[in-house]
Amino acid sequence: MNFFRGVMGGQATGPQPTGAETIQKLCDRVASSTLLEDRRDAVRALKSLSKKYRMEVGTQAMDHLIHILQTDRSDSEILGYALDTLYYIICNDEEEEQDENSQKQADDLGIKFTEQFIQDPEHVTLLLSLLEEFDFHVRWPGVKLLTALLKNQGVQVQGVILVSPMGVSRLMDLLADSREVIRNDGLLLLQQLTKGNASIQKIVAFENAFERLLDIISEEGSSDGGIVVEDCLLLLLNLLKNNSSNQNFFKEGSYIQRMKPWFEVGDDNSGWSAQKVTNLHLMLQLVRVMVSPVNSPGATSSCQKSMYQCGLLQQLCTILMATGVPADILTETINTVSEVIRGSQINQDYFASVNAPSNPPRPAIVVLLMSMVNERQPFVLRCAVLYCFQCFLYKNQKGQGEIVATLLPSTIDANSISAGQLLCGGLFSVDSLSNWCAAVALAHALQDNLTQKEQLLRVQLATSLGKPPVSLLQQCTNILSQGSKVQTRVGLLMLLCTWISNCPIAVTHFLHNQENVPFLTAQISENLGEDERLVQGLCALLLGICICYNDNSLENYTREKLKQLIEKRIGKENFVEKLCFINKHELYSRAAQKPQPVFPSPEQMLFDHEFTKLVKDLEGVITKTVHKSSEEEKKEEEVKKTLEQHDNIVTQYKELIREQDSQLQELKEQVATLSSQNEQMQTTVTQQLAQIQQHKDQYNILKLKIGKDNQSQSGSQGDGSQVNGLQTEELTQLKEELEELRQQHALLQTQLADKDAIVNTLVRNLCQKKPVTQIMFNCLL
Amino acid sequence: MAYAYLFKYIIIGDTGVGKSCLLLQFTDKRFQPVHDLTIGVEFGARMITIDGKQIKLQIWDTAGQESFRSITRSYYRGAAGALLVYDITRRDTFNHLTTWLEDARQHSNSNMVIMLIGNKSDLESRREVKKEEGEAFAREHGLIFMETSAKTASNVEEAFINTAKEIYEKIQEGVFDINNEANGIKIGPQHPTTNSTLSSSQGGQQAGGGCC
Repeated sequence: MNFFRGVMGGQATGPQPTGAETIQKLCDRVASSTLLEDRRDAVRALKSLSKKYRMEVGTQAMDHLIHILQTDRSDSEILGYALDTLYYIICNDEEEEQDENSQKQADDLGIKFTEQFIQDPEHVTLLLSLLEEFDFHVRWPGVKLLTALLKNQGVQVQGVILVSPMGVSRLMDLLADSREVIRNDGLLLLQQLTKGNASIQKIVAFENAFERLLDIISEEGSSDGGIVVEDCLLLLLNLLKNNSSNQNFFKEGSYIQRMKPWFEVGDDNSGWSAQKVTNLHLMLQLVRVMVSPVNSPGATSSCQKSMYQCGLLQQLCTILMATGVPADILTETINTVSEVIRGSQINQDYFASVNAPSNPPRPAIVVLLMSMVNERQPFVLRCAVLYCFQCFLYKNQKGQGEIVATLLPSTIDANSISAGQLLCGGLFSVDSLSNWCAAVALAHALQDNLTQKEQLLRVQLATSLGKPPVSLLQQCTNILSQGSKVQTRVGLLMLLCTWISNCPIAVTHFLHNQENVPFLTAQISENLGEDERLVQGLCALLLGICICYNDNSLENYTREKLKQLIEKRIGKENFVEKLCFINKHELYSRAAQKPQPVFPSPEQMLFDHEFTKLVKDLEGVITKTVHKSSEEEKKEEEVKKTLEQHDNIVTQYKELIREQDSQLQELKEQVATLSSQNEQMQTTVTQQLAQIQQHKDQYNILKLKIGKDNQSQSGSQGDGSQVNGLQTEELTQLKEELEELRQQHALLQTQLADKDAIVNTLVRNLCQKKPVTQIMFNCLL
Repeated sequence: MAYAYLFKYIIIGDTGVGKSCLLLQFTDKRFQPVHDLTIGVEFGARMITIDGKQIKLQIWDTAGQESFRSITRSYYRGAAGALLVYDITRRDTFNHLTTWLEDARQHSNSNMVIMLIGNKSDLESRREVKKEEGEAFAREHGLIFMETSAKTASNVEEAFINTAKEIYEKIQEGVFDINNEANGIKIGPQHPTTNSTLSSSQGGQQAGGGCC
């Protein structure tokens, strides 16, 4: 007791004990003292030393401290000291103003102690159970300690929490804590907990995290709120990013609707605080996570739909057109609107209808395009506008048509600035960035749309006064051959490739200009420097497209002739090698990854995402076509033809069989009717025969009667003759009747014979048809 | 969409008994003969009508594999209903029911409604578990029972809806504390909380008649 007081009081006689010694003594006390007060004092002392002697306290005291957590559950004060001490030795954040080296050492120390702590997973479970303790002095350091453990060894600690039943839901309860400090630190804890672990993210969502976080955000004043709002948003991002199950839950829970009020900004948007900018930035990111192009198409489109239905898109467009919005928020809003409308017809239609509050009102699209081709605008903003325009046109034939229409002579409106005018202006401006953006934007108006590719061929440009107008296509190739900046030429070549691919008429137009093919051949065959490689590759692609989509309508530039040209002038291998320059370019794969045009610097703005898809599709086809000799191609052509012929034959036979089938059916029906008729006739004949027999019998009886009468009544002649007279009359009548019946009978018999003949022929027909059909089927098989 | 109540369900049972297929049939009205193994937990939702009230069902389909068991346990507490599924053509899946039930009873709130489901009733020729056995098990443990086929959709609607009816009835009886969201029940945004006594008598009768 005495020596300990000395240590604490600092009045020890003799040599001062070292830190390590003191700590050892304190540890012994923690371990051996039977009085709670003594243990508590010792732990408190350790706590006060833990910052200065972090290493020593950590090494010597950790086990003792954990033991306290296990055994002194009833005293919240000692628990609090122990947790605080553990926090100080494990946490790395506290050190400030340190050089890199010592910071690294501190980090290592934290990781080492964390590993030591979690070696036994029971310790983490113990910590989780301590969080059930309501006392502030236990819960708060507990939260901080667990956060620090997660920061240092996230994966392992996550693993332990995940398998401890109720682990995650207990931590979720922190959000409901009435003490703000604990709730806020709980948010930080959950951020660490959900980092990169989909299973935990789902459980947290299941525990009503969305509801609670959205409640906190609105309680704290949405975007006007402080750092707590930011923390909530970061946690929401963790829960939703790349987690389709949670995204589905978020959508199904009607939480998209609750995002709308976040974006209700006033008229005066100047003087936003840095916190507000950060909050809004995260809010926009959350919207984007729900409609990201990497999500499954079905999920994205249903989110896009509800964003329109609840008015979120409309709200975002208001920010787009509002004044005073900071540039980076404006840029991110444009990117967000882009993804909300991408590929969704209703949303795209709505976006096309948005007007800027200018006088006269201009379409938002026009206002945005003005920024895209304006050199003074920030680079990221111009990229965002391009993205927005691309998303507006993505799978939007109607929108593509409207944009191209603003360039066509019939629909041009000279009084107002149109999208088409701005794009042409950009295409031929002196700023290469504008050239590139305008070319790519225009290419997107043609993507997968044959009609617009053909329509755009009609566009004529007035050059200088007095000179005849030049077609847009011609003007593009003219600029190309004038040797402008690489960025300009790459943009134009991408536009041309998109334009003429899959469109034989455009190919013919392009080849019609006698200068184009020699220019391309020269570009490809020359041995140019590193900078020109990409242009060479694109020239090869363009020439390749001229071969693949050639309808042989120009005698000088048929498919065959162009191939010969490559063989003689460039060489097949050389051509293919140049073609490969495109996808071997260092920036190519970057652009292929996602639709959004993001470039570290303006000079690196070279590839467009949609264009990389085109390259992927065409590269193989062109290489194959070029490598194939004309004989092979002819052979293939022949094979194709024979195949087509075979197909035709098969179709013919199919037709025939179908015809015969219907004939057969008809005949069968006829046979059926005839047979029934025949049956009827037969019955009539039988009836009539029976009648005739009856008459015959009657006649015979009468005959006999007459005979008898003649014999018996020979005396009374008069009477007899009278009777006989009567009988003779009757007789003649009967004879006539009989004759008539005989005639009828004969007639019926002939009719019957006729019908029988018909039936026979039909039956024969049937028998013949069947084998024929059979034979045809055999042929086909 | 507005709803009067929201119920949270979980679907549990051995791997391969057709849990994900039941959910797909219920939410999308289609059957997928080849289904990937569920990893962890997947989410699905649908709106149904009971007693003239719109009820939103949020369903968490869990992985049946043993290795995910500790993860799926986290979902028991917050669910109002559970579909415990076995495969009538595999006796072992029926034999494991006791384990599943113990697990569920241990980690869930005591009011959770459990529906026992014998799935794959279309495969009569390969049946290994008699319907009577399922009925007996359900009776013994106080569960509702039904045989379903996720393939032909037979009884699938009924399974989900009858479970909801049971929960609804319990709410009307006042068994569930509807103000505690941890029970897996939430009152809809426009739900008039004051007239719950009025609707209880009607609701109880109707649900009772429709059940079984």
